[in-house]
Amino acid sequence: MSPATASVTRQIADPYAAPPDYGPIRFLHRLNPLSKIAAPLPAMALLLFTRDIATPLIFCVVTLVMLVIGAHLRARTLLVLLVGMPLIVAVMSVSFGIWTDPARVGDSPVLIEAGPVLFTVGAWLVGLATALRLTAIVLLALVGGLTSTGPDLVRSLVQQLRVPYRLGYTALAAFRFVPRFRHELDVIRQAHRVRGISDGRGPIAWVARTAGYVVPLLAGAIRHAERVALAMDSRAFGAHSTRTERYTIAFRARDWVFIAVFWALTALVVML
Amino acid sequence: MTDDRAELAQPPIEERPAPIVSVQSVSIQHDGRAASTPSDVTFDVAPGEVVLILGPSGSGKSTLALALNGLVPHAVPAELTGVVTVGGMRTAEATVARLSERVAMVFQDPDSQMVTGTLLDEVAFGPENLLVGRDEVLARAEESLRQVGLWERSGDNPDVLSGGGRQRLAIACALAMKTPILVLDEPTANLDPAGIDEVYAVLRQLVDSGEHAIVLVEHNLDAAIELVDRVIVLDTQGRLAMQGPTRHILTGRVDELLSLGVWLPVALLAALRLRRAGVPIDPLPLTPRELTASLDAQDALPPLATLRPHSAANASGHAAAGHAAAGHAEPAVRVTGLDLDRGRTRILNDIDLSIERGSFVAIVGTNGAGKTTLLQAIAGVIRAPAGRIQVLGIDPAKADARTLARTVGFVFQNPEHQFIKGTVADELAHGPQLQKMATDDIEARVSNMLDRFGLQELRDEHPFLLSGGQKRRLSVGTALIDGAPLLALDEPTFGQDRARASELLTLLDALNADGTTVLVVTHDLQLVAEHSSHILVLDSGRVAAYGPTATVLASGALESAGLRTPPLARAFREVVRHPTWRAVTRLADLPAGAPS
Repeated sequence: MSPATASVTRQIADPYAAPPDYGPIRFLHRLNPLSKIAAPLPAMALLLFTRDIATPLIFCVVTLVMLVIGAHLRARTLLVLLVGMPLIVAVMSVSFGIWTDPARVGDSPVLIEAGPVLFTVGAWLVGLATALRLTAIVLLALVGGLTSTGPDLVRSLVQQLRVPYRLGYTALAAFRFVPRFRHELDVIRQAHRVRGISDGRGPIAWVARTAGYVVPLLAGAIRHAERVALAMDSRAFGAHSTRTERYTIAFRARDWVFIAVFWALTALVVML
Repeated sequence: MTDDRAELAQPPIEERPAPIVSVQSVSIQHDGRAASTPSDVTFDVAPGEVVLILGPSGSGKSTLALALNGLVPHAVPAELTGVVTVGGMRTAEATVARLSERVAMVFQDPDSQMVTGTLLDEVAFGPENLLVGRDEVLARAEESLRQVGLWERSGDNPDVLSGGGRQRLAIACALAMKTPILVLDEPTANLDPAGIDEVYAVLRQLVDSGEHAIVLVEHNLDAAIELVDRVIVLDTQGRLAMQGPTRHILTGRVDELLSLGVWLPVALLAALRLRRAGVPIDPLPLTPRELTASLDAQDALPPLATLRPHSAANASGHAAAGHAAAGHAEPAVRVTGLDLDRGRTRILNDIDLSIERGSFVAIVGTNGAGKTTLLQAIAGVIRAPAGRIQVLGIDPAKADARTLARTVGFVFQNPEHQFIKGTVADELAHGPQLQKMATDDIEARVSNMLDRFGLQELRDEHPFLLSGGQKRRLSVGTALIDGAPLLALDEPTFGQDRARASELLTLLDALNADGTTVLVVTHDLQLVAEHSSHILVLDSGRVAAYGPTATVLASGALESAGLRTPPLARAFREVVRHPTWRAVTRLADLPAGAPS
């Protein structure tokens, strides 16, 4: 096969052959999955220790802008980010705020007073800070999450971090177990209900019931895992210390730049 | 006389080309087992040859298949004596990875062979492990996917393929290894009839291309037999009983095969039965088409026994019994105007149905036709809208669990899923205990059930430690112990070998003869034809046909619902010279002759 036909074939048929590229503006897709984890990590750690409103708010806005510009998002995801997120922050700020002890916030105008419930502006601001903190962490995680695929992450773990490929690809194969086990658990539940052991409410009955699911589920899981292992063995898995990577995921200068800029930005926010 | 002729037809051994697979005095003992199966087996496979391994269940066919690419002894805890050589390499001295360049495997369960997220990645997985260059990987992937007709879907997730599609993908994965030898271990046991057809269409192409030596372990001989050059037969102890050209062995030594308990093509079984009834069929046919031809070659056939004695007698007999007991012939199941949704999808559409007491109803249909949903609604496993279903006087949608358990027994596909106790006896006692029966009454019932299903010796064993067949019998026992006169089974033979399937069906026949109404969801249409009194064909959530087995088989309703007529009915339907024989659908319809 000539290189030309090979590349044509790849474009048509192999969505996993190269990370999808949506042009230079959607720059997040052109970065290594690892750099998209490394860059926001210090910011996420920092956010765990902040109590103010400004810091998480800055990170929220910056990350949102970065996602909207730099990531190719479906309309639905965009809607969730731009409309859903602020709504969730609003709801969370109130619910966290109600749980805040008003005495700790000091004097502040009362928003609502209903019987024993006293909701002050100060309490709401505390709630808002918490809500923004959580949202900022989630958004930072989405920088990598929305713009890289599982196989790509495994590939870069193998190629850059030298994680043994046997581990990486086995983990990837194990992902396929999840829906299968979920289905199997549903069937087992159904079968046990038919045998009449759904009777009884409360935590003890729940524990007893769940314990009953474990044996059949485990028996099925072990058998399945053994079969998968045999199938992988007979297709030469683990034959050599490396395997052909159909494409290499590069860790380029731009990844270093992205990390450096993000870390610098994080430092700047700290100093403010 | 057939023997003599076949003996002459057998080619001399010396003329065969140098073997690509050589198995010499091989015995395999699994860790913790006393006996070796297979035991002292010797055979060769020539390049391009297609070999079928036959044998009763437990004879070690699959174990032998696993030894061909070194999984036995390298990956499976077992001890192998003797020598297996593939492509000039001794398996004992090579790794499974090295051997994978010579032997590619396809297993029974397509799900357990998938490891990646797309068809292309899946096919590329093996060559990538072998450090094949990138362009070559892609070239192989494309070629293999094209060979099985899946290239257009190379970007899809394997999960969205049908069972047959996934098994074709597994074959593509094996082809991408570019091996001279292909081993397939029960490749269609987990598939519905459409999937079996798909897989055999692909296999036929592979056989025609002649590029691979193929070793096949398969119970579905009706599909496989046309492709096979040579058969190797193991006996119950796993010893080599016979080997030779397919036709020579199957027709020439058929009595030995029968006494070994080897499953034979249904066309062959039919011809044997006719021979015993005095029809001089010679040579014996192996396929439905050959059977048709040999029947048309007869100038005269004996008169057929009245068709359908089984279902007619059965149904009316039990109806009469029911009449005597209940005083009126109320049907066992009556469904009126049943619609059922799952999420937003309509699964069942306006089902109207009346099932007589004492019938043996097979519910058939393609995947997604709503078979299991209907069965579960009738048995109260899922709740249907109230007032649509009547089962022996109760509405399963409203009945409490205890009443339901006394009325309908439900058997799940995998018996393990139903087990909840630590011993076989406790498992059986669980239902009666919930019914709050007296202790000695419970003990009597349990003991009776243990005797009936041959489990008395195992009463203190843990249910999970039983053999597959014993587990199945126990699950039927637990469903029946509360005295339910109606038994519902969801795909009870799926993924099982023929011997075990046949054992279960014999059990169901006996229960049915005692008056239990049996409802079975199944894919196995020959089994349907042999055992059921009625067939219910579902198509896209609607009743496409319901009636006595013979009527439905003759009506063409199976085909219009996307199913295939079972092989025997197909063979007789095509008969030209004996029109009265066209309605024959099961072995029991044929004149029996002297008992063998």
